[in-house]
Amino acid sequence: MKVHVDPERCQGHTLCNMIAPDVFQLDDVDGHSTAIIDGEVPADLEAKVAEAVRSCPEQAISPDPGNRA
Amino acid sequence: MTDDDRKKNRYEFARHAPEYRDQFQQITTEMVSKCPVAWSDTYGGHWVASGHKEVFELARSAEYLSNDHDVKGERRGYKGISIPTPDGDFQGGFLEMDPPGQRHYRQALNPYLSPAAVARWQPVVDELVRASLNEKIETGRIDFVDDLANIVPAVLTLAMLGIPLKNWDIYVEPVHASVYTPPDSPDIERVRQSQMAMYQDLFGHFMQIKANPRPGMIDALARATINGTTPDDMELIGVLALIIGGGFDTTTALTAHALEWLSEHPSERDRLSRERDTLLDSATEEFLRFYTPAPGDGRTISADCEIAGASFKEGERLWLSWAMSNRDPAVFPNPHEIDLARTGNRHHSFGLGLHRCIGSNVARMVFKRMLLAVLDRMPDFVCDPAGAVHYETIGVIQGMQHLPATFTPGPRIGDGLEETVARMQVVCDEQRLAEPVTVRKGTAQVES
Repeated sequence: MKVHVDPERCQGHTLCNMIAPDVFQLDDVDGHSTAIIDGEVPADLEAKVAEAVRSCPEQAISPDPGNRA
Repeated sequence: MTDDDRKKNRYEFARHAPEYRDQFQQITTEMVSKCPVAWSDTYGGHWVASGHKEVFELARSAEYLSNDHDVKGERRGYKGISIPTPDGDFQGGFLEMDPPGQRHYRQALNPYLSPAAVARWQPVVDELVRASLNEKIETGRIDFVDDLANIVPAVLTLAMLGIPLKNWDIYVEPVHASVYTPPDSPDIERVRQSQMAMYQDLFGHFMQIKANPRPGMIDALARATINGTTPDDMELIGVLALIIGGGFDTTTALTAHALEWLSEHPSERDRLSRERDTLLDSATEEFLRFYTPAPGDGRTISADCEIAGASFKEGERLWLSWAMSNRDPAVFPNPHEIDLARTGNRHHSFGLGLHRCIGSNVARMVFKRMLLAVLDRMPDFVCDPAGAVHYETIGVIQGMQHLPATFTPGPRIGDGLEETVARMQVVCDEQRLAEPVTVRKGTAQVES
């Protein structure tokens, strides 16, 4: 699984970072999120990433299960 | 399509009526299930969105929705975010503006309110909380609104603005009382007087800071370029009123409601205290969802459009109910119950889209620090239902005026509130805490 935050949709609600701080980092200046992990999400973090996807109020996070490099 | 066809889903929606508070759950269930987008003839006629999916779609359709409050009649005469429009045409800061000006204001203020910026203040907040509790800890009695939840958000907001911290009591009363005092109350004259005193103080500091820079959000606004120009003073005072209104009463409302619920559910309170490392975040989001301090926002449709199954015409008014959409069973199983460990909590309590509450990071941090300190120092608190006073109406803020409680008395830790506020002023000044995070990154250093 890969994960991507759409910068056009993210509004800085910060729930993803609360749920999975090892995967999502927040910008110091506006609090908007980006995925730290560029490639495959480690298996032990997949459940947290799924919860972040489900919890995002703007639905800005997309997992790419099929898009393996 | 005729107007009758467009408006065939109808509901008589009166959010300012006391009955709306009393029957909130029943009205919400009815609207969400039968007419998630409804036309209401109340308040001059307006749309009401209550379904989660519908509110989500609408709130994020920035190209068809306007927040503009055109008080000078320079554009299309739109009326901003309150339905009906309150007396006195006053623009409510950038929440009653559209981009690009709205975006310029947020860009000026984000470096003061981002998660990284807010985290710097946590030691100061802890000191203010500790000192507020000290004032009552030996007596075994506290009013969680008057003695804690009114004070800490107010002192912190002033500190972040660049206003002397000790002035907090000039601001607290008018900000809260103007929300819960009905216009026909015998109290309204006194509230207006206290509001005048507040605006006098605010304007005084604004003019001083404009002339002589001083760290804080007032400084950022006084020197901001918005739409390529320097805004006039009245527009900036409106922005400051938005920051103060948003910073005070909402966090107070959330804290009071959460403490009231925890008093009624002591085993859940003990569990939250015990499992705080895993439960505090989800519990905070759940209290936000369930109590939605700011229950909704108005918009004006800026172009004919079809969204969320309804057909809107330019100029029509729309109420986005964050509070009702937060109870939609399609997204929240058992929506009328509080589940401290709830997952997938996509609540709308901070709004959605480009107007997301800019103070959300402050609200969460201050709420959590107040809650944890109460759990640690007054773990057996019992709120007094007979003394609890909820706002009579929940059209503007779902808040509480008083929440008295008793608990087993404990020892003071360190100094009292007045001394602490004076010490925190020195900390703010010496460490220039109110600078934006782009200038000053470090956390406040506080000796207790």
